[in-house]
Amino acid sequence: MLVYGLLRCYHGSRISCCDVVKLANILRTGKTEKVHLQPDPFLNELTSMFEKSTETGSVWVTLKRSSLKSKVQRNKMKTAGSPIEYRCLVRATDGKKTIATSVGMKDHQRFQASYATILKAHMTALKKRERKDKKKAVETDKKEGDSKKKPKV
Amino acid sequence: MVYITSWDEFVERSVQLFRADPESTRYCVKYRHCEGKLVLKVTDNRECLKFKTDQAQDAKKMEKLNNIFFTLMARGPDADISDVAGKEQAEAQPTKKGRGRKQ
Repeated sequence: MLVYGLLRCYHGSRISCCDVVKLANILRTGKTEKVHLQPDPFLNELTSMFEKSTETGSVWVTLKRSSLKSKVQRNKMKTAGSPIEYRCLVRATDGKKTIATSVGMKDHQRFQASYATILKAHMTALKKRERKDKKKAVETDKKEGDSKKKPKV
Repeated sequence: MVYITSWDEFVERSVQLFRADPESTRYCVKYRHCEGKLVLKVTDNRECLKFKTDQAQDAKKMEKLNNIFFTLMARGPDADISDVAGKEQAEAQPTKKGRGRKQ
């Protein structure tokens, strides 16, 4: 019904076909478009996502290498001989909202450190080793450690 | 979906996968606080490697893997990741050597 209404708008006024599809998807799934942020606001939003999903829900974080340019542009740059600058694309979602940022070579260490801090602070629900396992692990670690240390020295 | 039980095997295979096809390989992390579960996935849209855990110790290992992937993705697939792993060893060694020399 809603999609039909949107299509009527499309025929009536100049809404593009892509917009109709996007709006229809939003209405159907309740999902909004991906938001591209700078690294620092991204980290703030990521923190709030973790905080919101403590009772229920998941947080997904995806890392991918990207030059943020289309294939056509990349091929052009290749033929021109100019080096393509790659960035690390980071996306995070809680199932409803998606945020994204891209991190370049210069900022990646700083971003990585802040990101690690956020993860450490929030991944508190994971089980810690039980004492029985700890004793066994300590014994096996000692044995392994002794055997490993010798070849290094 | 291939769930790998050994952490070291997962790391090695996922780095290999990335180096073979850096354009299409992605690294995904899913964390569920209510269940206390962490799932890691590395895929190049042809092959998929997964690792799941509920152990806090694995979160630390995951952080190291994050560092490795960040370095590979930002600097390029030929980047030397022994820097990332090597840094910790380098930090540990001088202190030991120092004590040894003084003696």
